Amino acid sequence: MNTNPDSSLDALFRAARTGEPDTARAQFGFETRLMARLREDRGTSVFAWAWKLAPFFAGLAVAAGWWGQLSVAQVETTASAVADVALKGDDSALMSFVTGGRR
Amino acid sequence: MPEPAPAADEVLVAATLRGDDEAFAEIVRRYKRRVFTSAARFARDDHQLDDIAQEVFLRAFRNLGKFRGDAPFAHWLARIIVSACYDFLRKERRVREQVALDAIEFEMRDGSMDSAVSAERAREVLAFAMRRLTAEEQLIVTLCEIEERSVREVAELTGWSESNVKVRAFRARQNLKKILENSHEH
Repeated sequence: MNTNPDSSLDALFRAARTGEPDTARAQFGFETRLMARLREDRGTSVFAWAWKLAPFFAGLAVAAGWWGQLSVAQVETTASAVADVALKGDDSALMSFVTGGRR
Repeated sequence: MPEPAPAADEVLVAATLRGDDEAFAEIVRRYKRRVFTSAARFARDDHQLDDIAQEVFLRAFRNLGKFRGDAPFAHWLARIIVSACYDFLRKERRVREQVALDAIEFEMRDGSMDSAVSAERAREVLAFAMRRLTAEEQLIVTLCEIEERSVREVAELTGWSESNVKVRAFRARQNLKKILENSHEH
């Protein structure tokens, strides 16, 4: 009787070492499966990148829209101020507004 | 006319990096047996074996640019095999199966075990006992005890220090012994 757990364990390891596990069945057609997965991986990687960049472009679009809105509002304010002054026929006020001087 | 000598691994790696898929297929053909043999020590069925092997070669393919050629390609690939197997074990631990060790019969105290227990049976017993170890312990037992790699080699493959490998190997062995003893007492 072998009651020493160390030697029992060693015996188990020794037995497990003898002979390689049979992997022939799993190896069958492996290259084909792998190359197909690689091609699939490569194809999806472009879309994956596109999805990763989507938040950046969304942020860019929002910023551009906000900036555009702001410039339109500024142009409208300026145009209406010029129109008001022109309507009153106050040349000196118009000149002062255009040149940035004070009345 | 003699057949041309097979291309060196470094040549195949360079060709793969230039986009030659056939060169990578040749690398796969060259190393798949080694990858499957190592992975078979951790996988429970052919599906898992195929998953690990695919993961190894996918990681190799994605990281080929990092292969500098200062060590043989086989060594570089061995590190990928170990890390893929380790990740597999960690994932596998989360879905640990609930089969009790004592559900399979084995005779630890049978003196005739040395000669009589088949490799297949021993792998089965070990697999059941090792499933109760942590992923780290499973890896270290496989590398140190079953594959009989040196402490230095295991340290290189895992990225752990040599003293760390020794401590982990000792603890893993103790735990494995305890598991087998306990199961035998029931």
